[in-house]
Amino acid sequence: MLAVGYFTFRDLLHDRWRSLLTIISLAVIVVGYLLLTSLAQALVTLSRQAQVTNNLLILAADTIDPMDSSIDEGVLQTAMEIAPDQIQLAFPILFRHLTIDGQLMQVRSVALEEMSTSLALTLVQGNWPGGPRQVVVSEGAAELASWKIGSTVNIYGTDFQVTGLVRTEENAFGCVWMTYTEGQHLFGTSRGFQVGYLSLVPLADPESVRARLLADPRISAAYSVYLEHAFTNSYNQSNSNLLALSGLMVLISLLVVTFGIYNATSLSLTERSLEIGLLQVIGFTLNKLRSFLLVRTLVLTLTAYSLGWLISLVFINHQRLHASVDLIFRALRLTPFSSLLGLGLAVIFAFLGVWLATRRLTGLNPLTGSD
Amino acid sequence: MTIGTGPSKLIEASGLGKVYMRGNEEVIALRDGHLSVSQGEFIVIIGPSGGGKSTLLHLLGGIDRPTQGELHVNGVDLVAASDAALTRFRRDNIGFVFQFYNLLPSLNALDNVILPLLARGLGWKASRQLGSAMLEQVGLAHRQKHTPGQLSGGEQQRVAIARAMVLEPCVILADEPTGDLDSASAKSIIALMLDLNQRLGVTCIVATHNLDLLKVAGRAYQLVDGLLNMLPAG
Repeated sequence: MLAVGYFTFRDLLHDRWRSLLTIISLAVIVVGYLLLTSLAQALVTLSRQAQVTNNLLILAADTIDPMDSSIDEGVLQTAMEIAPDQIQLAFPILFRHLTIDGQLMQVRSVALEEMSTSLALTLVQGNWPGGPRQVVVSEGAAELASWKIGSTVNIYGTDFQVTGLVRTEENAFGCVWMTYTEGQHLFGTSRGFQVGYLSLVPLADPESVRARLLADPRISAAYSVYLEHAFTNSYNQSNSNLLALSGLMVLISLLVVTFGIYNATSLSLTERSLEIGLLQVIGFTLNKLRSFLLVRTLVLTLTAYSLGWLISLVFINHQRLHASVDLIFRALRLTPFSSLLGLGLAVIFAFLGVWLATRRLTGLNPLTGSD
Repeated sequence: MTIGTGPSKLIEASGLGKVYMRGNEEVIALRDGHLSVSQGEFIVIIGPSGGGKSTLLHLLGGIDRPTQGELHVNGVDLVAASDAALTRFRRDNIGFVFQFYNLLPSLNALDNVILPLLARGLGWKASRQLGSAMLEQVGLAHRQKHTPGQLSGGEQQRVAIARAMVLEPCVILADEPTGDLDSASAKSIIALMLDLNQRLGVTCIVATHNLDLLKVAGRAYQLVDGLLNMLPAG
């Protein structure tokens, strides 16, 4: 073992530039793998499907972004009249996209009592807004803008205080929640509200209620009615394309790390076939040669993997701290699972590269490589 | 025709042939070779490039396999031996010396010399002691820590000879050992091989273009177009 370690060290040191280039090329492969898997995980996070509910949303007809919607107060009353036995509660939501502290955020205003009930927000830290100029923010928003409980947030020219952090399964975008009254003060009432929220009775069939509402010209003339989860998914772009893309990325990243490492290992041994042949002539058995080549490959692979992992960690952390509206970079994570999986695959395929490359030597003239 | 006589035959080859395939074309490198060598002989094989000298040495050393004939070296049937057995045979019986030395450039002289000892499984310390003693025998005690790039051609060939001799093989197979050296270095290498042959009794088979070697050879052969013929003495 001493001899193997010594000769490995001498060999790598003698060919220091080639060793360095091998390490760099392997590290690039590792970075490619880690970034692709992180990106795939980020896509999955961002495209998380909203939970199926039996609630309905009313928006102005033909609007894609809720911010473009404008609804009169009387619509909610009309909806209650059309299906009084099916709708137990109707309330308005003010909705805006705003850049706050340099980050693109959603701002939603809704009656305080609906935040934890109908909208199922979970308070994970702090308190619900208890007075004027107070907001709660989603965990994603707090992370994006580095907000904490007590932070002052300037929205639309007015300072608000963050009183709590909330969690929502709906999406991963940064979101600020304030009471409906605060929203009306901040944005005014000229555009009415953007979303009408209809909470149905427990056993109601949302599809049939939606059909009943759309059958009434008072609704269908100017408004659209959506199943809540369907609209949320559509708005979040959480469609099968994104999930398929993330799956494809995982596949590509696995191919990158496996074939990349195998190919690099195999090539570096092919370059040394004459030296390997000479050692065979001198009397080194294939197993002894393999043990030396495996140690050498392991040193190169582990060094390259550590380097690649470090570069990926620095890059991802930098993106999480400094990326602005590019939410996908904000969602990048270097997980222990993908790191260990990549390491395991790198080691396995490096070994495979050595094993197959040396296997080709069996039965050949060690000096000429001919059979 | 069997050439050579003696009480104990180290090498016995009969009807030895080697045919290579170059694409779809057959290339006959050696045909119907007969050779019988005793322990302690110094044999020289001359012939033009491409005549089959290297092929013959590769066959005798178990680097390559004949396509016909029989070949026994030190009692080992090289035609029937497995790859692993051939590796062990080379390690325990043969020392190779090449025209271009074939030293590992990353290792110093001592490290290059001890490689066969490590291949046999000898310990690190014992290997270094034996390697150091062998380098002293070839006159390179003061150059142990030098890498091949820091040595002259003659010195590199001495290291290669030390590496070939360190396991005390029964046969040294030298393929153009002076082919890359100036005349002074070539004479010194020939003298060294003769000294090892006479002092240690190791059998030497040298393939060469250097006709000076004919003067010191116990027996000489010519190999042309794959045909091996013994040259008359003197």
